[in-house]
Amino acid sequence: MRNQLKERVAISGVGCSRFGDLLRTPDLKGLTIQELTARAVKEALDDAGLTGQDVDAVFAGNAMVHSSQVPATYSQLSKWTGTQFKAGVHFEAQCSTTNIGAILAAMSIAAGVYDTVLVFGLETTRTKVKGHSPYEREPISHQQTWLWTDMAVNQAYAVAQGYDIFSTYNGLVSLGYCRKYGVSIEDFDRSMYELCRTRRFHGSLNPKANIQETLEARAARAGYSDPYEYWQSDEHNPFVAWPSRLLSLVTTADGASAMVLTRADLARGGKSQPVEVKGFGVSYSDLPWYGEDPTYWEFDRRAVDAAFDMAGIKAADIDYLHTHDCSHISSICTAETIGYLEPGKGLQAAREGRLRFDGDRPMSTHGGRHAFGHAWGASAGSDTYEAVLQMRGQAGARQIPKAPEVSVIHTHGYAMIGAVLVLGSM
Amino acid sequence: MNAVQEQPSVIRSYYEKLAQGKLLAVTCKSCGTHTFPPTGCCERCGSWEVEPVELSGEATLLYATHNLSPACHPRFEKIAPYVYGHLRLKEGPIVQAIILGVEPKPAALRELFERGPVPAVAETLQMDDLPVLAFRIRA
Ligand SMILES: [Zn+2]
Repeated sequence: MRNQLKERVAISGVGCSRFGDLLRTPDLKGLTIQELTARAVKEALDDAGLTGQDVDAVFAGNAMVHSSQVPATYSQLSKWTGTQFKAGVHFEAQCSTTNIGAILAAMSIAAGVYDTVLVFGLETTRTKVKGHSPYEREPISHQQTWLWTDMAVNQAYAVAQGYDIFSTYNGLVSLGYCRKYGVSIEDFDRSMYELCRTRRFHGSLNPKANIQETLEARAARAGYSDPYEYWQSDEHNPFVAWPSRLLSLVTTADGASAMVLTRADLARGGKSQPVEVKGFGVSYSDLPWYGEDPTYWEFDRRAVDAAFDMAGIKAADIDYLHTHDCSHISSICTAETIGYLEPGKGLQAAREGRLRFDGDRPMSTHGGRHAFGHAWGASAGSDTYEAVLQMRGQAGARQIPKAPEVSVIHTHGYAMIGAVLVLGSM
Repeated sequence: MNAVQEQPSVIRSYYEKLAQGKLLAVTCKSCGTHTFPPTGCCERCGSWEVEPVELSGEATLLYATHNLSPACHPRFEKIAPYVYGHLRLKEGPIVQAIILGVEPKPAALRELFERGPVPAVAETLQMDDLPVLAFRIRA
């Protein structure tokens, strides 16, 4: 394959809702899925200085239609986004959805078909349609969420025979990491605590995050003076797949995100500072996601290599990295595969605070899947949103001191599509 | 009226064999790779020229952790929490499956982890509605 964009493409507008629960989170409570989506889309279009009628096409992403119940998302959302009569399609790549949408948009623009494309993603993993109501929602049980989510996982053999996301994504990867690098279980646990502390610290600095309470504050609220004691308590932080604990995982969320992509020459005269799509790479894999070594995922390697080749960058050029952190240990393995962290030293980097927004290896400054929250098909867009804010110097209290010039966003679309997006300042 | 003949299905065959304690895979006639569990083509080279083959069930358990209760899937509610492991089959494929012969508790799993890779053998676990593949750690 030629692996190149024939024209330069930029992101000229970004939008993202708060992530949380449509039944109870401030800023979200009472919203319908149409209005939730419209908020993110309006923010992105306003940011680009456009209306829905100014775009040529709309790529509408939604993964878990069981809870959202808006298939044909393009037409069902068209009057909520001002995009009647546009070209468009509903698509999904699970948790990579919005960034795969950005990639499809970049391809269609570089091919000379469209000038400007709106991409959005919406998802409700906390709430579902209540009965047949057009506006009432109700909570989804833990088991129901995973039963629906795992429909994206090998149905012939894996889910049918006891596949478990927390085992495959967390426990087994953790053990692989500990054995490969000689990390003790005690050191591993302490490192996972520090990583969670960093992610929740980032969440506490982000008014759109699902969880905005630091780990220390949460521990104090439960009566613990030592937050590490809270971390190790079976009551508050049980092993979900030993040696991985609950607080090293994703938290589910309802949310929406959006972005506007356009020809780079058009973006230059736009309302907001554009960011260039320098390259991307995509590679998918069925289970098993890894061979004998649970820390090395071949499809990630291929996606990263393709993206870096297209963008003409190397690991040392990266100023800001987001890796999919539905599983905290997996996010470290991916950062090591990318070369942003030294293989086997990722946990140490977490313990030393180097992954904080003010550290030398900033990652997931919005709070990541744990603190920002995870709304499957909308989440990749939230990662890109954060990268664009950081590159513009608009990330507020969590702004990386020297605004990044090259950002890399990696996501795992269940199960699995590795998608890597390289953004560069113009 | 003529009866409609049922088309062969690799998935149905896999579970029917599993009920008899047998592990069905396919082998590629072009490159020799085993695809397990079986599909209709080779997972490595994409060739459609594959033939059924029975695997030994001999495996090495590399890592073992546990799942949650209630399980993510209602089929496994009765046995959750259970041990779930990462294995290499004697014939090469990497597989993840339910593991029998060790408790789903941190102390037992830690002891197993510290022992390193251990031999295991396939065993069919009969759930209410489906036979499923498990591996038992060899004594
Ligand atoms: Zn082959």
